[in-house]
Amino acid sequence: MQNSILNNQAFYNLTPIAIELVDFINDGEDARHFRFRLPSPQSIDKPEPGQFFMLSVPGAGEAPFTFTVTPNDQGVFRALVRKMGEVTTALFQCQPGDILGIRGPFGKGWPVNALANKKILMVAGGCGLAPLAGLIDQLITSHHHKHLALVYGARNRALQMLNPERLRWQQELSLFDVLEDTGSTQASTEENHILEGTPLDAMDSVLRTLDWTPDTLLLCGPEVMMSAAAKNFIQRGLSAQAIWLSIERRMHCAVGLCGHCYLSEHHLAHHYVCKDGPTYRWDHLQPPEKN
Amino acid sequence: MKTQSYYLDHPNTLRNHLAKSYQIEPPEADSAKSTPPLISPKGQLFAEHENLFTFDGECFRETLPKPAPFVLFGVQSCDLTAIHYQDQFFANDPYYQARRQQALLIGIDCLSPCQQGFCPSVDAGPGVKNETADMILHQLSATSWLLLVCNKKGLNALEGLLLNPANESEFTDRDNRIASCVEQFNDDSYLQQGITAINQNQVPEELWQQLGIQCLSCSGCTNLCPTCSCYGTWERQDSNGDIRRQRFWDSCLYESFQREASQHNPTEEAGERVKRFWTHKFGDNFAQEFGRYGCVGCGRCEQTCPGVVGVHSVMKRIASDAKLDT
Repeated sequence: MQNSILNNQAFYNLTPIAIELVDFINDGEDARHFRFRLPSPQSIDKPEPGQFFMLSVPGAGEAPFTFTVTPNDQGVFRALVRKMGEVTTALFQCQPGDILGIRGPFGKGWPVNALANKKILMVAGGCGLAPLAGLIDQLITSHHHKHLALVYGARNRALQMLNPERLRWQQELSLFDVLEDTGSTQASTEENHILEGTPLDAMDSVLRTLDWTPDTLLLCGPEVMMSAAAKNFIQRGLSAQAIWLSIERRMHCAVGLCGHCYLSEHHLAHHYVCKDGPTYRWDHLQPPEKN
Repeated sequence: MKTQSYYLDHPNTLRNHLAKSYQIEPPEADSAKSTPPLISPKGQLFAEHENLFTFDGECFRETLPKPAPFVLFGVQSCDLTAIHYQDQFFANDPYYQARRQQALLIGIDCLSPCQQGFCPSVDAGPGVKNETADMILHQLSATSWLLLVCNKKGLNALEGLLLNPANESEFTDRDNRIASCVEQFNDDSYLQQGITAINQNQVPEELWQQLGIQCLSCSGCTNLCPTCSCYGTWERQDSNGDIRRQRFWDSCLYESFQREASQHNPTEEAGERVKRFWTHKFGDNFAQEFGRYGCVGCGRCEQTCPGVVGVHSVMKRIASDAKLDT
């Protein structure tokens, strides 16, 4: 991110690089899994799982998204997007071949090195599965991770995302789909190994099914869900230092300037999620102990 | 460089000299006053609106400002301290730096307190600190001024203007006059108590909520605050079809500031937003990062706030309501 106009100093780049929309598949209600192509694989630094980028849809604006698949040697990468606001609505009107923009990668990703040999339970809700997708693929393909389980909660079957990926992952990890509204009979629910309720409702059943006890918890989803899951696992005896979560915030710069993504926790009021996050360890988010 | 000092008959002598090579802000003569203007010079460096880039359908092109050399003339210590603070915050922002590198800063010592100011309490005045300006004006009498030159940039700008060097004793006299100005400020011990309470997280949540109710989210304080730097972005289409992204001053006190596309809003409550605003101004975490508090004691928030939740009002209420650890 160099800008040579002023003195050679390293300046933030607030101007995107042009990328091409390659194609997309529909993947869940109002959600699409997009493929984009960079001018070259070296156009941006190599992203770590859990890092994010700013996607520009010219005319509509810019918003943060995670890499579900990081750029390959053709510079092609993927991102899962749910149609939600102005930027994503405009993106859903784009066609293959359209030129969009990217800046990044930004932020701190999952603590990949600290995860080696850990017994990892991942709990994802809704779109929260996207920031974990790249990590899951890395753990199962290059690390051949042994103890890996994913509990994926969604409101109903139509809102489940990353359907092809979850099908593939089933062979490599213990996958538990949880639906608040299963919309079907008990028999077919059991047949498809779908649990009912929230991920937390299903947790006793999940832990009984696993023949190992998780020593690391990775969370991504609505903040209420992450907070409830973290507290639940601390009650179950897990250390706060073994719980990691990825936080979502509105962002306009991703380099700590625009101010939008601050954390309101008093001791972290100087934190910007774009720089200091989006991945946080649970104990770091808690107020410091009083002496 | 050792500070050099000269006698000057009137600030306009310096202004006229600098006008040969620089654009002067503010453009009106006699702007060297010992009271900060309602609007700080913040916008000269961090523009209220500015283009970030254009997109022609294929390429994104950065649009850096290219201002001619300019002078911020007669800037008070509070605003210079704010610029010094922003220099750190925007150190890697190419748009800010493109303007900043063209700017020459002429400070002016305040010799009497202004109505809402409390710069001595936050180490931001009333005398201008050398590291925050290129030159400093200091009034000696109706017809005589002292001009301090703080650095090489200031010295170079002075080239061609013949001035008599000042006596060494003027430094001490200046310090004394500034010290006597400090003594004339009102007692504001509630400020220190408020700062302590904010940092100990001892402000009752109900008080933040009450202050939040009084905040009209009008952005008067954040616009006038010389250190406020939050911005939003939007895109505009030119008549030729090109897209321009602009950034514009935003306010963390707006209800929508953190609201996401999903409508999830981490700071939906006004009290939380007000709390974060004051923590940003007086939090020790920020002070550690920037070497000082974010507040420079100009008092403009008090002056402008229609809800009576400017700095003096807020800190007085915090000081009286907080349960301080002693």
